Amino acid sequence: MTGESPGDAPGGTQRLARVRGLVRTGRGAAAGGLVLALLASGAGTWATDTWPFDGRDRYCWGAWEQDSGPGILGDEAFGGDDGRSRTATGSAPTADTRRGECRLTVSSHDRYGDGDEKRQRTTVTVKYGPAPASVGDRVGWLGGYLGDRAMPLPDGLPGVADGHHGLLVLPKRCDTRDGRPTAVTLDAREQAEADAVLARVPDLGGSRAVAELLVAAANKGMESAGCAGAEPLLVSGPVPTLPERAETFARGGACRIPGLDIEGDLDKETALRVQYQVGAVNDELQSCSVRIGRSLRLGERSDQQLFDAVMVREPRLTALLDGADDGRASGRPPGGTLGKGWRGTGVSGKGYALVRAGCAGRPTAFLTFGTSTGSADEYFATFSNAVARRLGCAPVAPGADDRGSGR
Amino acid sequence: MSTHGKPEGDAVSGGEAAVSEDVTAVNEGVTAVSVGGAAVRANGAAVSGDGAAAAPRPWWHWRRLTRGRWRPALAAAVVGALLGGTGVAWQAEAGPFGRERACWGAFDEDDVADLFHGKRDIKSSEVGVSYDRIASDGPSGACELLSPRGHRVRARLHQLDVRFAGAGDKWADEFLSARMTPIGGGFLGMVSDTRAWLAVPEGCVGRNSDREGPLVFDMEAGWTTYDDVVDTGERARLARAVVTLVNDYMAGRGCDSPIPDPTARLAAPARFLDEKRDAICGVQGLRLPGRDRESRFERPLVTGGTAAPVRTCDRDVLFGHPRLRLMTVEDPRLALIYKGLSYDGGRRVTAAGDTGDQVRGRGFLRDDMGLFQASCQTGEVTFLVRAADGGRAADVRRLLPRYAALEADRLGCGPLRLRLPS
Repeated sequence: MTGESPGDAPGGTQRLARVRGLVRTGRGAAAGGLVLALLASGAGTWATDTWPFDGRDRYCWGAWEQDSGPGILGDEAFGGDDGRSRTATGSAPTADTRRGECRLTVSSHDRYGDGDEKRQRTTVTVKYGPAPASVGDRVGWLGGYLGDRAMPLPDGLPGVADGHHGLLVLPKRCDTRDGRPTAVTLDAREQAEADAVLARVPDLGGSRAVAELLVAAANKGMESAGCAGAEPLLVSGPVPTLPERAETFARGGACRIPGLDIEGDLDKETALRVQYQVGAVNDELQSCSVRIGRSLRLGERSDQQLFDAVMVREPRLTALLDGADDGRASGRPPGGTLGKGWRGTGVSGKGYALVRAGCAGRPTAFLTFGTSTGSADEYFATFSNAVARRLGCAPVAPGADDRGSGR
Repeated sequence: MSTHGKPEGDAVSGGEAAVSEDVTAVNEGVTAVSVGGAAVRANGAAVSGDGAAAAPRPWWHWRRLTRGRWRPALAAAVVGALLGGTGVAWQAEAGPFGRERACWGAFDEDDVADLFHGKRDIKSSEVGVSYDRIASDGPSGACELLSPRGHRVRARLHQLDVRFAGAGDKWADEFLSARMTPIGGGFLGMVSDTRAWLAVPEGCVGRNSDREGPLVFDMEAGWTTYDDVVDTGERARLARAVVTLVNDYMAGRGCDSPIPDPTARLAAPARFLDEKRDAICGVQGLRLPGRDRESRFERPLVTGGTAAPVRTCDRDVLFGHPRLRLMTVEDPRLALIYKGLSYDGGRRVTAAGDTGDQVRGRGFLRDDMGLFQASCQTGEVTFLVRAADGGRAADVRRLLPRYAALEADRLGCGPLRLRLPS
């Protein structure tokens, strides 16, 4: 600084003299040492890029930190170069309410030379709270997370995720007073362009990123709600397995479920567009989603849900369904559409069904949702019996002799 | 500053030049110190010669700096700089703290020493990770660690070969042997005291198409005299090493969540089974007629641990090649290595209940081998009975349908009734 220009010089000498005077005292030496130390540590933090005052933003109750890993929190979240913004709204759960919600909005745009503009608006909604009260809502809600392309979270966490949504059940200590488990859910949406042919799938950075976001929100939420444990939840390992690609033709039954013949009930044209998505198939979870792929020729923007079924017996996940089917024999569900002869308990209504039965010594839930086509009940029976057979237990649906066990 | 500038301007006008000189000198001095002591001395000499006549030496003068009250400060600064520099070099493993790394940079000296019982005189050579011209085989690479005492450990990165009549079957001979235990934690991999393999998690490299085998690292550390005793210490070493390889590969691709140390969750290694007459290989209900047969076969070894990708039953193994193997490949990604073979291995095996457009799977029967690749809810599953030569054609033929039926039931893939070619 001194000697930058001759005009500075007088002040410079003064300062120099003052510094000299300071150094003469012992205190001065100490101060000098301190300055040196600060300079050195400053250089060190600069060199190692670990500046403590980096001013990183935090979102969603402070659970998520900018650039902390998941793509949506980094620079790669922005699709456009201009007008980049990332904001969050919502409130954390409290010890009283035990419900929280947060919405993260990422937006940007690109303007092209010809005046064309491309806008990006990605929203990520996180909810903290118990499952929906109404049975129909609850089955559809849980099924929506467990089905399709969802895979179990790594490290044995009780939950599932795919690339843009996920669910995590919190430990028992966070259950509501009436004993219902609390869950954290995450849903991401991409606002479609006005003239876009296809709705875009938001990219948060992969299913592991979704798992990380869920766990971070869960930890912060539990803290705010006053049910945090000694150790925060942790997702450490990589995702071992990804879901299969959707199949367009079924060999040996839809989703490899023996006897599940869906194409046979469709006209030839539609049958060609059917897509089968096998989700997880393991001891805790199995899912099958059948869609009619959108036809751009017919101006369809999204796939049509045809059949969705899930088997789940991870104890914390099935606990979310507790109370949904209390004391109602599945043979006589109020307003139900399922026929007689189901094993265990169950309940069904418009567009959903839930059956719970013991299977090879473990309580197991079978659910279907989102469809009310004529044959959906039959498909569900075939699915349930085939899965029960795979798990090594007695059929749950009636008519197992002519369905399910045929092969 | 401008307010004071005027009155003092004349008084220090001489000093003004001096100050600006000083500053240059200080700057020079600083550079010189950082370059080396010799430069400081040269610079200092020049300055002292110049300003000998001037009364008190300025405070920054090297003579003043090296004695009196400035000395400890200077010493502290030099020591501090040295310490800091050393610390940075140590942290960055640069300069004298640089460490040799082996196998694509995955292993540091400690990792290598761990594999060779603490010996540090290990040489390594490697072929870097590369692709063929059209990248049809996926990435591949090889690495070899060699001790002067002739001990050798090889590591390889490759995509399991699913093409052309079962090149994967040879790999399966050793790497799916009953001596291997699953690495666990949901990861696709197995380990014994002489072999280890681990697929790179799909979350990092994506899911392969159903025409591509998984991308795996495998390691071989020679042979043991074959029996059912697996050295768990050696096994833990190989398990750690193969996880290190995969983690390093993932880190290179920006996947920053490593696989944790698997050694704590490894199951006990398999031991020879006391075979019952009606439970060959421990499969309840599987039997061979004839009294002398039990004694003709040696005792079997069956894959240990839960959630294994394969259930292998080997007996009479010579250099990794069993005289008789009964194997169920449960993981569909691994069963791919038999997919090509299942189409053209020999005379066709079909399943009861097959219709024109819906079949349970496909397979074949030869004198030395019978195989059926079935479509189950979990995906493709391979059931295989294989002898070392054609001398057991009758046994292979008798075992295959019963073995496939019983194993299919165990996996929830039944009923599966095979029809053998006449």
